[in-house]
Amino acid sequence: MEQKKTFYHEFEVFSKRTPSSSFQHQFSLLAPNAEMAMVMAQENFMRREPVADIWVIQREHIRGLSKEEKTALNRLDNKDYREMKGYGYLKKKWRFYQQKMFDEKEILSWSGGNKHD
Amino acid sequence: MSVLEKELNEHEKLEQFIARIEAGDKIEADDWMPEEYRMALIKLISMHGISEIMGALPEKEWVPKAPSLRRKLGIMAKVQDEMGHGQLLLRVAEDLLKPYGKDRGDLMMDLFSGKLKFHNVFHMPAKTWADAGVIGWLVDGAAIITQTNMLNSSYGPYSRALHRICAEEVFHAHHGESIIMALAEGTEEQRNMLQESLNGWWEALLMFFGPASSTTTGSSKQDVTIKYKIRTSTNEELRQSFFTKYIPRIQSLGLTIPDPTFRFDEEQQLWIYQQPDWTKFKQIITNNGPRSQARLNLRRVSYETNAWVRDALSAVSN
Amino acid sequence: MTEQKITAAPENKDAIVSLLFQLADDDFLYSFRGSEWLGLAPHIEEDVASSSISQDSMGHAAMYYQLLEELGLGNADALAHLRPANKRKNCTLVERPNGEGCYMEVPKYDWAYAVVRNYFYTVAKKIKIESLKNCSYDPLAQVAVKVNIELYYHLLHWKTWFVQLLSSTEEAKQRMQGAIDQVMKDFGDVFSLGTDGENIVGLGLIEDENVLLQRWIDQMQTVFESINLSIPDIPSAPALNGRNFEHTEDLDSAIATLSEVYRLDTAAAW
Repeated sequence: MEQKKTFYHEFEVFSKRTPSSSFQHQFSLLAPNAEMAMVMAQENFMRREPVADIWVIQREHIRGLSKEEKTALNRLDNKDYREMKGYGYLKKKWRFYQQKMFDEKEILSWSGGNKHD
Repeated sequence: MSVLEKELNEHEKLEQFIARIEAGDKIEADDWMPEEYRMALIKLISMHGISEIMGALPEKEWVPKAPSLRRKLGIMAKVQDEMGHGQLLLRVAEDLLKPYGKDRGDLMMDLFSGKLKFHNVFHMPAKTWADAGVIGWLVDGAAIITQTNMLNSSYGPYSRALHRICAEEVFHAHHGESIIMALAEGTEEQRNMLQESLNGWWEALLMFFGPASSTTTGSSKQDVTIKYKIRTSTNEELRQSFFTKYIPRIQSLGLTIPDPTFRFDEEQQLWIYQQPDWTKFKQIITNNGPRSQARLNLRRVSYETNAWVRDALSAVSN
Repeated sequence: MTEQKITAAPENKDAIVSLLFQLADDDFLYSFRGSEWLGLAPHIEEDVASSSISQDSMGHAAMYYQLLEELGLGNADALAHLRPANKRKNCTLVERPNGEGCYMEVPKYDWAYAVVRNYFYTVAKKIKIESLKNCSYDPLAQVAVKVNIELYYHLLHWKTWFVQLLSSTEEAKQRMQGAIDQVMKDFGDVFSLGTDGENIVGLGLIEDENVLLQRWIDQMQTVFESINLSIPDIPSAPALNGRNFEHTEDLDSAIATLSEVYRLDTAAAW
């Protein structure tokens, strides 16, 4: 078969809304190269929202999972030793010592710096 | 063949596929899908996408003519969105077409040859500024009804494109309402312009939802699309829903529905209306409508005139 | 350039108004030519992206017309829509059609011309805006700061197209070269400040046109060198000077289109 003359490459477009947010997949577009994809990306997919950064990635450079490989994502539900729920009993224990348990919510709230209270 | 993957026959694959969509799972571009499903999606989504691209043209006629700086900006943004919707949908269709070695260029050729059709409403003339308003208000209103019906489509990429599109349609609805509100509250000439526009678009709006059943025109893809959970409601259900949402608003502005037989039947809980001429509908969508050839020609000339640009970009393609 | 700020006192007003009309009419017509391309660009993604530039530019025109309205020149929409060609101060370049044919019927628009015009115009606009950020008339300086925010993208966009097309096929290079010649023929009044120029510069509204033009040449030199081309000559005396109300018939038909609906009833709310 004769090779079709075309400039089309699929680019996947990712963007982040604010400097602190993660990149999120937006959509795909057709462009001949990354420079052109970049000048198209923002106005095609983020016309009405704030954008702090953009990535364009040629689709063929993305390694994804095949249907068969997705089988590798399965696992048993026997891993509470590495999850919060495996340590829930501590709450009761700490109560016995008249202490509050440091749960996730409590620990993440320390981001504002430690205050003596 | 891999040792991990159990060889499935076509029948088993189909059963698994149906089970997936019954369970509300989303199908992705690389997943196995029955040929019938792929074909139904390609037909539906490429027609939807190309309709957006063709649909940009009637409104575009009014872009430079819009009667204030703000209206010029608003309608420019609106037509830009239509092209943007075309982009999203054609991307989805192109990925489905990949196994056949077809791309966007082939879709354009199908459009020009008449193989790929576009929505009946975009074959109609947009004669006045009020038409630009009515397209935004009612044609987009009708499009919102059909598109929200497919928001949870079993095909993931289509569903994601529709979520983006429907979010923008809300702006389109407001944009259209803003234009028609100014006309409805304006001078007698402006009100007449609006009523005439409604008269002109009425039949096309009824046709927009398609015939109630395949017996009307001899072709309807609604059965397949419902079977595969691409959409949920029938054409007639969507048309009735459009009436329920829009008739009170049309009447509240003092506009007259251009159909003396139009009424709501309490007993049947249905809107009763004069059927549009479905023979005419068939003519229109086979590119024999009032503006079909002119718009196709516009699209063809600009596509061909710009062919050298696409060639040039091929040369800088990496 | 003077740091002194001026007001729109009667002795300054004519110069301020003249400059504002130049800036407003330039962007209004530039945006109009861009909007005619809407739906017809060579690539769908480009259609969407470049429409944002047309919208931004119309937004810029609206800000200048608004300043004129505030100076008592009349309603911004009336200023944009109703003034005949012989009252317009836009440069020749932005009134030129996109190519043969009308956007309604069989437009044979020239993308090479669009890219070259848009790129050269945007570089010129950026240079003016940089100078206007120090404008002695503060409301205009403030608008310049705002306009400047959107110009980086416009420049990046058109420069990418300009460089890529000139680095591609022989046909594209020939078409681009033809477009460059065509655009340069009309470039003589882009930086012109017209007969009010001396007054405009004297009041510290913007720097001298020759200074601005030299900046444009210096900037373009680098771009042209990067693609092994030499920078073309700019006619010193333009055939038509739009700043002095000299225009082509294309401006008449552009205004007729732009104001078609507005003129149906100028007193009505649309």
